[in-house]
Amino acid sequence: METLTHIVNGFSVALQPINLWYTFLGCFLGTIIGVLPGIGPSATIALLIPVTYGMNPTSALIMMAGIFYGARYGGSTTAILINTPGEASSVMTAIDGYQMAKNGRAGAALAISAVGSFIAGTIGIIGLTLFAVPLTTMALKFGPAEYFTLMFFAMTAVSSLAGKSPAKAMISTILGLMIATIGIDLQSGQPRYTMGVPELQDGVGFVIAVVGLFAIGEVLATMEDMVKGVRPEIIKLKGRIWLTREEWNRSVKPILRGSVVGFVIGVLPGAGGTIASIMAYVWEKRASKHPEQFGQGAVEGVAGPEAANNADTAGAMVPLLTLGIPGGGATAVMLGAFIMYGIQPGPLLFQNRPDLVWGLVDSMYIGNLMLLILNIPLIGLFVRLLYIPGGILMPLILAISTIGIYAINGNVVELYFGLMFGVAGYVFRKVDIPLAPLILSLVLGGIMEQSFRQAMTISGGNPKIFVGSPICVTLVALSIISIFLPLILKRIEAMGAKAKAE
Amino acid sequence: MADRIILACTILIAVVYLYATTLIPSLEIGDPLGPKAFPRMIGIALLIAGALLALEMWRERGKIAAKVEGAALFDPRVLKVLAVVAIWIGIYYSMLEGLGYVLATTAFLFPLMAWFNRGKWLANAISAIGFAALTYWLFIALDVRLPRGVLPF
Repeated sequence: METLTHIVNGFSVALQPINLWYTFLGCFLGTIIGVLPGIGPSATIALLIPVTYGMNPTSALIMMAGIFYGARYGGSTTAILINTPGEASSVMTAIDGYQMAKNGRAGAALAISAVGSFIAGTIGIIGLTLFAVPLTTMALKFGPAEYFTLMFFAMTAVSSLAGKSPAKAMISTILGLMIATIGIDLQSGQPRYTMGVPELQDGVGFVIAVVGLFAIGEVLATMEDMVKGVRPEIIKLKGRIWLTREEWNRSVKPILRGSVVGFVIGVLPGAGGTIASIMAYVWEKRASKHPEQFGQGAVEGVAGPEAANNADTAGAMVPLLTLGIPGGGATAVMLGAFIMYGIQPGPLLFQNRPDLVWGLVDSMYIGNLMLLILNIPLIGLFVRLLYIPGGILMPLILAISTIGIYAINGNVVELYFGLMFGVAGYVFRKVDIPLAPLILSLVLGGIMEQSFRQAMTISGGNPKIFVGSPICVTLVALSIISIFLPLILKRIEAMGAKAKAE
Repeated sequence: MADRIILACTILIAVVYLYATTLIPSLEIGDPLGPKAFPRMIGIALLIAGALLALEMWRERGKIAAKVEGAALFDPRVLKVLAVVAIWIGIYYSMLEGLGYVLATTAFLFPLMAWFNRGKWLANAISAIGFAALTYWLFIALDVRLPRGVLPF
């Protein structure tokens, strides 16, 4: 009953004119930047953090959540029209979405993606509303050992599911942890790995790392394509942005199935949207009576993955808000933003700041509706962004990155750090080292070490504490399973391929 | 080839990191582990990750496609352009506070656009100047301080 009151009160926060405005602004900016090829939600949120400096935390977080799902949505437009997904989770949308666009059904593909996103997003947020409270009740029982094993699980899950090579993902995760140890150790007051650089005493800011790795790195990668003369073909948008009755009938079930898959996968830590959309695509192809149409522009192949992708966004907010543990790159950036505002998400936040939590959750219902209303009529306008020449756009992104980093502390040295991360981000892309695990462990590293040391202090130095409770044992078991998951998945893939060949 | 370099770098980073860990001064009072224990663990974990990578490389050794791809990964012509871009970004950063955001940004953007968006002088000039002025005004309005530099406003 008390929760219900909080949920209703949340709407009174979310419906305040100022917060409505920030929801709108977040969705709008998120969509715009999401449409721009090459910039995913992680970089979008990090780049727009300076915009929120003057705001109160509730409004800032409401806006950032809007940016998050706005950017996810914007990414599908890029996938459909130029076959260049803004981020990995739109890869599946590109397969049939781009074919639909080539067949002259671009408007229908964009419409199904907008409607599917709205339905899936709303189902996802209902799931978030329902699951948040039971999970926080459980999370209140968590001590340092449980938190440590939970973070360990999140990292193993993310690194086992990101990229092609588990070893490279593990390297990425550990590099993030190493960067997190730079700075003054909070417990002993000793500087670690600062090399006498004063700017490193407070550690490496996550905004610097995210902007460098994702924005500057991506710009360098895009510039490489430009030097090589690779130019994406943009499909012109013709006709109405709407679907035929037949297309709609074919899409309803995929949207509902995709929503469930997306939400469930979103709650679990790991590659999130990408895995969710792949699973939804595979499911639709299996369920279809005409699997041969997939890859040729089947509307189900857009509806399912798009729904999964957007329900995943809401699902990913569940562990972030209830446990304070993000399940992937973009939510890790969100956690970093929370911490910047002095807010630690987790079960205590639900007790101490119900207005903030439920205001944020409820704003997502409104934001989703806004996205739908915004996108159907304005899609033509957003699409125009794709016509901005890369030669103008890429330098502008570099300048925006500069503001994003400089605005934090007004320090030029941090800009050079950002540039170093940018070069590293470019190289990592080239050699297939995934970036999301690095960001996740960079954001979680500090808290992880603290809980490790607290747990060891409690146990008097006995590591058995990490298997000392049923929750710990479960989490350790899940971590071990996720380490071997890539091997199991490979087996399943091989079996699938064999079955297909026969 | 690329994977071999990654492997070498991984081992190098792990060794340097573990060595730097031994240099952390520690007074282990009230904290049985001290500031070194966790870093030591992740340093060793990185070595294990390196070993895993070596194992992956050993398993993939027969696949010729991967090797060909590795050789063409970094095109020297592209690298030259990107190195110039990175240096240019560095110069921009060093000029930012002296010249101020608007001037430095315009001076940074215009040549980059002139190179990557050739021949469109007017569009490039409008984009460079317009963007610098507009964002400066926008962020000042949002209470975000950007360096003013030599301009009086």
